[in-house]
Amino acid sequence: MRVRVIRRAAIGAIAALALAGSALAQEPIRIGFHVPLTGFAAGDGNSALLGAELAVEQINAEGGVLDRPLELVVYDDQAAAEQAVPIANRLLGEGVEAVISGSYSAPTRAAAGVFQKESIPYISAYAIHPDITRAGDHVFRTSFMGEVQGRAGAKLVGDIMDKQRVVLITLNNDFGQSLAQGFKEAADQFGIEIVNEYSYGLKDRQFGSIVASVKRDDPEAIYASGYFFTAGPLVSQLRAGGVQAPIIGQEGYDTQQFIDIAASAAEGVIITTSLDRDTEDEAMRAFIEQFEEKAGFPADMVAATTNTAVHVMADAIRRAGEVDPQKIRDALAATEDLPTATGHITFNELGEIRKTVQAQVVRDGAYHRYAVIDDPELLAPPSQ
Amino acid sequence: MEAYLYSLATFAALNVILAVGLNLISGFCGQISLGHAAFYGAGAYAAAVLSVAGWPFALSCLFGALIAGLLGLVVGLASLRVREDFLAITTMGVGFLFLGFVRKQAWLGGEFGVSNIPSPMSSGAMTVLAMGIALAVIALSLHLNRSWMGRVFAAVAQDDDAAQTLGFDVARYKLAAFMIGTASAGVAGALYAHITQLIVPDAFGFITSITILAMVVIGGIGSTWGVVAGAILLTLMPELFRFVNEYKLLVYGGLLIVVMRLSPDGLAGIVHALAQRRRG
Amino acid sequence: MFHVELLVVGLIQGCMYAMMALGLTLVYGLLRILHVAHAGLFTLGAYVGVLTANAGLPIGAAALLAIAAAAAAGPLLYHVVYKPLLDKPPHVALIASIGVLIAMTDGFRLLFGPYGIPFQENPWFVTGWSFGGVFLNAIQIALAIAAIVLIGGFAVFATRSRMGVAWRATVTDPAMAMTFGVDPGKVRNLAFAIASGLAAAAGVLVGLLNNLVEPGMGNIVAYKGLAIIVLGGLGNVPGTLVASLILGAAESFGTIYLDALLDRDAIAFVVLIIVLMWRPHGLLVRAR
Repeated sequence: MRVRVIRRAAIGAIAALALAGSALAQEPIRIGFHVPLTGFAAGDGNSALLGAELAVEQINAEGGVLDRPLELVVYDDQAAAEQAVPIANRLLGEGVEAVISGSYSAPTRAAAGVFQKESIPYISAYAIHPDITRAGDHVFRTSFMGEVQGRAGAKLVGDIMDKQRVVLITLNNDFGQSLAQGFKEAADQFGIEIVNEYSYGLKDRQFGSIVASVKRDDPEAIYASGYFFTAGPLVSQLRAGGVQAPIIGQEGYDTQQFIDIAASAAEGVIITTSLDRDTEDEAMRAFIEQFEEKAGFPADMVAATTNTAVHVMADAIRRAGEVDPQKIRDALAATEDLPTATGHITFNELGEIRKTVQAQVVRDGAYHRYAVIDDPELLAPPSQ
Repeated sequence: MEAYLYSLATFAALNVILAVGLNLISGFCGQISLGHAAFYGAGAYAAAVLSVAGWPFALSCLFGALIAGLLGLVVGLASLRVREDFLAITTMGVGFLFLGFVRKQAWLGGEFGVSNIPSPMSSGAMTVLAMGIALAVIALSLHLNRSWMGRVFAAVAQDDDAAQTLGFDVARYKLAAFMIGTASAGVAGALYAHITQLIVPDAFGFITSITILAMVVIGGIGSTWGVVAGAILLTLMPELFRFVNEYKLLVYGGLLIVVMRLSPDGLAGIVHALAQRRRG
Repeated sequence: MFHVELLVVGLIQGCMYAMMALGLTLVYGLLRILHVAHAGLFTLGAYVGVLTANAGLPIGAAALLAIAAAAAAGPLLYHVVYKPLLDKPPHVALIASIGVLIAMTDGFRLLFGPYGIPFQENPWFVTGWSFGGVFLNAIQIALAIAAIVLIGGFAVFATRSRMGVAWRATVTDPAMAMTFGVDPGKVRNLAFAIASGLAAAAGVLVGLLNNLVEPGMGNIVAYKGLAIIVLGGLGNVPGTLVASLILGAAESFGTIYLDALLDRDAIAFVVLIIVLMWRPHGLLVRAR
């Protein structure tokens, strides 16, 4: 903990010096940022903040935006809508003209309403609820919609891996269920037969009854949604229970903690995600390396998409030419093929991203490239 | 900055409604409830479902209050069978049961909750409405306290066996307290749904129930103005404590311990003690 | 076979609940306090266990250290927080307990990070054996054994040893016990020490089972523990044990069969409410 603080302070000091070097008597451009730093969601909040801070450092090291340094105005919302709404209003009162959410669905949707009303451009970094972008044309999202990723999973399992009899293990929250929805939607297309579906809650860590059921089903593959703290135990218990079938996860698994928890059981697990550890893409490579240096642990998807969100916003401000909310919004909507830590970003009419999906596999205790799923029709998010 | 203050005031008003309602149940009638968020949620969901279906805002809110009140009646009836020690845990159970049920119902949105709840008025107007309802609930609570009903509540809270032998139909008063308390939580829920425009099951969990109970106990269980102060204080806490940002939950937990240790009758207790001292 | 496996898995989970609930019922029986902060001692045990094990200690020593740490922390908690509140209405101690739990949970987060800590060397949670078609890993077996040994040991202590009899006397009739020279303070300290030690043991085992120790890991277990002690009849030890096993089994089956209707965590409370409506004094309690 302390080492991380010192490291953060050191990088902050270096960034500050870099700042002093560039055109910096200039007033900073302030981007609002609300994130759960305390409470049950503090883990994701911490990752999101680090990803965002790294983006600011990266941007300022290259001279900032419009010759001005970028600055985050950070507030802790504890992932609660009743805190996010006053924070949103507070940011407005402080004259912030662009905001990013590093928080969960309910606070993001609540804040989105406030920002849409006031015509402030707003990017949701990783909150998953489908109706967030439906709050209006000022709201954008830089992470995959659950159903899009689910469809990619179906292609991965049915087509690329050629497995037909599949069992679904679904996390009972909006993320898990939208993944399952997408997977089921595309299942027929790829010849997948869903033998059974089980579900579990966010707080569950013991999956004995599900393991017993999966053994009885004897599937060819298991499509299991979760986050590292559920997927880690789940995968371990499946393997310990004698289940050999390949397990396919999603970006919720995409953290080093998952591999640390599941240890040997993690080997061979395949996930759909946006980070490719074996990438040649400069932006992605740079993020992966610099994040590990800044944070002291390997990058996770929450950090990556939040980093992307900040870069996307900065890029839009550049193209807008000035810090004008309407111009920034229009520039955001026009974002096309922008290279970021999580791939090339293009928004559709609704403000959702169109992007390829990476598939990674755990080999020798780390993630590596497995496949790339690039099917624009399959991966097209809804447009209204 | 006004919009910020208005939105804080709105949520403070909602918390006042919740705390005063819980005070009716726990403070006036001695029934410690650890599941108040279930009624908050019931009102929110009921109102949200109607609003999304196109019903006018006022009717949705009334429906929310109605559903919450009915649920309160059911829980109240169940609570009559159960010994005092058990009541706290039973109400906790009601809270978990509500959540566990709602998150599985597709027609209530399941894990996705109910979204695209229409916003019926400007935020400023909503603030005024919330504060107005809060004041009405406070007035109701004060009136009840001073009325004969309040005296019976107090007797029941003290010793419900004695109250029973005095001829009071204890059951009826307990039920009445439950229904009024939960109906007001339902109204708060209805308002909440229209302010945030997306309600999800996790907004109405055990933590929320405890937070409301903490407002009541810190304010001073049994004292209407006390719990109002408690509600306002705890709403403002995240804002006031931004300077200890990283440690805010630690401070919050510590605050609960310290207040219970030093002044178990909460803020109201401190005020009374000061008043007594002044009288000499 | 499938159903047998569900049952066995459920009973083992029930053993874990039993270790938690026993402590809760001890404290309630003695002091009428709903000791929600019990969850914090569970988690404390888990953290001490994982940190010392990761620092190189063999797992047995780590577990003992965890139990010792909690057994010291429990009575301390009693003295600092609960003792001054004993003469106040019950909701005061409850809120204070909740405050302790919130503070401890956040304290763990601040000290050890929000992501949780896995065991660096944990070969047991993936090693297992098949018992006639039912697969159990080493930790599940350890959990069952620990529960039987520790709870059985407690039962022997409570019935055969002087301290144990003194404890039971204090629960039944404190004033009478005092006239016999029993020191209530000692009894309370012992109760908290035993309760917390059991919780810590459960914490270490669950930490090994999940291969993850998290700041809030004890919370939901403690809430269910409260439901269990009510089910068993507050203060009634055999009732609590039976209720724990029943709950474990109910959750195991419920996860599969009630999945469409109810969330797993709600099962405990549904069972609670149904049973209480039928027997308002708890499962095994005979109405006095």
